[in-house]
Amino acid sequence: MNELALSLLDNIPTAIAVAREDGSIVYRNNAFRECFGEGADEWMAKNSHAVAGERGWLQAFFAEKGHSVDLDYNGRVYHVERIPNAGGSSQMALSFEDVTRQREAEQAKSDFTSMIVHDLRGPLSGIQGTLEFVLSQETARLDSLYEELLREASRESERMMGLINELLDFSKIESGNFDVGDDPISIAGLLRRSVHSLGSIATRDTIHLVSAHGIDLPMLSGSEEKLTQAIINLISNSLKFTPSRGVISIGAQVVREGGGPRSIVITVTDSGMGIKADDLNNLFEKYKQTKNKSLRGGGGTGLGLYIVKQIVEAHGGNINIASIEGVGTSMIIDLPVRHVA
Amino acid sequence: MAAQPVTPPRPQYDWAKLVGHSLKQNGPWATWEKLVEARRAYPEDMLLRGYAEIVRNTIVRDLLAGPKGLQAAPKLTPDFLADFDRFNLTAQEGYLISLIDGRITLEMLLKLTPFDNFTTLFNMAKLEHQKAITIPS
Repeated sequence: MNELALSLLDNIPTAIAVAREDGSIVYRNNAFRECFGEGADEWMAKNSHAVAGERGWLQAFFAEKGHSVDLDYNGRVYHVERIPNAGGSSQMALSFEDVTRQREAEQAKSDFTSMIVHDLRGPLSGIQGTLEFVLSQETARLDSLYEELLREASRESERMMGLINELLDFSKIESGNFDVGDDPISIAGLLRRSVHSLGSIATRDTIHLVSAHGIDLPMLSGSEEKLTQAIINLISNSLKFTPSRGVISIGAQVVREGGGPRSIVITVTDSGMGIKADDLNNLFEKYKQTKNKSLRGGGGTGLGLYIVKQIVEAHGGNINIASIEGVGTSMIIDLPVRHVA
Repeated sequence: MAAQPVTPPRPQYDWAKLVGHSLKQNGPWATWEKLVEARRAYPEDMLLRGYAEIVRNTIVRDLLAGPKGLQAAPKLTPDFLADFDRFNLTAQEGYLISLIDGRITLEMLLKLTPFDNFTTLFNMAKLEHQKAITIPS
């Protein structure tokens, strides 16, 4: 590196280092020296080795299995990021940002959200129960206008409960308390129930909601409740963006390897308006929504697909989106069968 | 030192563009046939699986697009009745054909067949495409 570049690097507040795959540091700027001191060499070397079968983060970066990670060092949290197109193939340039305060603020926000959401659920459950009770009383002889208004209130309170539950899941994910367990799950039953629970909405909107899977699917393990929530979320999204007389199909196929089942691929496919290519890349990020306008109202928190992705990944799977503008969208979930109990 | 087997990198196709273009140029059935071939070549490509599902969905949507929708009653074509050996039917398609009498509706077929609803509808669309049946709208 020439002198000007070295001088510039030494005068920026971001800690920068260039490391080899074995963890040896070939360059460090002043900010890096200030942050990590003399212990940096030992720390980097330790992170370049596999521990208990898990790659060290530096090894993973070199293997193209990651490009950023949050790490603890001497009571501080650092966000380490690979600087693209710098360092060559045998060494890698890395930036280290102290994000301790940011992470503390995020934790405080998450705790606050969790508390508020819990407090909101209580009274809302009471309102829902009361509305259901009034609507179920045959002797009440409600005026048809009042009955319709009560039904509308019931629908909206249900929607609000959905949003609150989404926020609750989100705060659990953010705080690291998102455990899916290992209960046995019948995927065929789960999909059938998910289709059934949204069947009346599809009929109301004259959309064909159709099962596209057999019953001979292997069992998985995890949380049936969470996976059902993920599938219902995907079907609900499709219902929002599919015009009348459209088709939404829910499929599942077993992918085999070496004679046995390797994974189950679940697809939720609609003949809706599709998603723009620009929107596809970040759709699973927090608070991201498509620019498409829902055909049936009901804006959300922008957390739905983020939560779906977390649920799928907690079961060891992954999710992808295929979409053609003006033709339709397919959500593809690949769940490994190795989770069978 | 023995040479390590080298796995060629999987080509990254812009399936959205390719499939969208093919749908416009060739229609859903020709696109579907190409996708079946592509699926054989790239069985691990999850996105490709999604695009194949979108095309299958389009085919079923077109089948149900008529004013009668699921209430339409398919009929066997004269071509099929005259020379059914010409049609190379699968076991499922043969079973469906055996139920068609000109009165039974698509909705009734869904209840009668042991296959999942989407597969039944897709097979009906395929039979219509092959001109083995007609579905009066």
